[in-house]
Amino acid sequence: MRIDPEKCVNCGTCQSYCTVRAIREDPQKEVREVIEDECVECGVCLRAGICPADAIFQPELTWPRTVRQEFSNPLIRHPSTDIGGRGTEEMKTNDVTNRFKPGFVGIGLEFGRPNVGTRFHDVQLMAQALASLGVQFEPQNPVTALMIDKNKGILKPEILSEKVLSAIIEFIVPLEKLEEVLKKVKELTPKLSTVVTIDMISRVGEDGSIPTIPIARKLGFTIRPNAKVNVGLGRPGM
Amino acid sequence: MTHTLHRRGDEISLSEDYVLLVMPARGYNLEGSSEKMKKVFEIISHYKTVNFGNARVGNSHRTTIDKLMTAENQRIAHAVFTDRENLLGCLKELKEKDLGISVVVSGLYDHVVQCCHSTGLKPHTVNNSLETLGAVEKLPKQEVLEIITMCGHAMVSPDLVEHLLGEVREGKRSLDNAAVELSRLCDCGVFNPYRAAKIMKKMLNSK
Repeated sequence: MRIDPEKCVNCGTCQSYCTVRAIREDPQKEVREVIEDECVECGVCLRAGICPADAIFQPELTWPRTVRQEFSNPLIRHPSTDIGGRGTEEMKTNDVTNRFKPGFVGIGLEFGRPNVGTRFHDVQLMAQALASLGVQFEPQNPVTALMIDKNKGILKPEILSEKVLSAIIEFIVPLEKLEEVLKKVKELTPKLSTVVTIDMISRVGEDGSIPTIPIARKLGFTIRPNAKVNVGLGRPGM
Repeated sequence: MTHTLHRRGDEISLSEDYVLLVMPARGYNLEGSSEKMKKVFEIISHYKTVNFGNARVGNSHRTTIDKLMTAENQRIAHAVFTDRENLLGCLKELKEKDLGISVVVSGLYDHVVQCCHSTGLKPHTVNNSLETLGAVEKLPKQEVLEIITMCGHAMVSPDLVEHLLGEVREGKRSLDNAAVELSRLCDCGVFNPYRAAKIMKKMLNSK
């Protein structure tokens, strides 16, 4: 995103709308400017329609900067998934797709959320560690689509310094591997310069139990009281 | 894409925050689902919500339920409820209409399970929110976090929450107006402006 210095009236309204504090004042020129390396191209400042001088504009983006917009602006569809946002349909349609079967766990590692942002070198650090455990990354996921070696978790080198609002590593492991994976995640996160929020997907047992919770609790993880529940109304081929 | 999962807050606050999401599955039942998605919004229109919509057509501040009930090729429907009675009614009607499209509810797990049981539904799959690890010192303070996580795509800036709160303090805006300004930035329509206003009121009273 850019701010046209010829039009900007330096009112500062846009600054508080920026999701990652990438707008600052240039005191010499007495205008607001976008810090290009910090801007994640989420588009909020433009879509909010708050600039009184119509000075905010979206220049054409070229590779690799285009990944910023694809991972940060939910109105942009990912070429790899054909859906907006940063992830997949994950468990939302599991009653139809059966992607997550009994005895397996889906893990989503959400880098940069909420509102911290992430660069892909942090994502790669985790992906490499998980790959060393034999994790197979979700093929429909936009981060997986940027890997040049899926078995080693290596991303395209030109994107490593790109900053996005969030990026999600997704994979499915057998329930018996969950402990090993969560331990690795916990071990690695202090080395990151961003935050990682964890999703844990499983089928609900016949008795209403969630098989993953005792494992996560044993490792000291806090399970939030709110969750996302697929209530089983979907059917294939309707 | 777990844009409704990681909402923060205590159980009292979260007991006024339930997000309904309806979505066909690509490669399974997406084809031919357009009329059914219009029907979903018609069902939603029968109940009291504080937000609704989707990123393509708009949230409740940018569009109307009538437009959503007639828009073609919608891939997702959202609605935000502040009470279980309306959520329950909506779930019952969705079950009765038997559209065959996946329905997901984000909210306090025990409450959602109770609603399922009252409706004769059985939870199929769950996505649990674990904690946030790493550079947590970069996160905003708890109350701001409770507000901004209501837009899981992070379209609501922590600085804007503080800025609008300042305007409320100065008498330039009402709390409700500030909450709506935050809510309109969440393109999907999953932000809960009612709850945001309550959290901001608490922030004002605590200073």
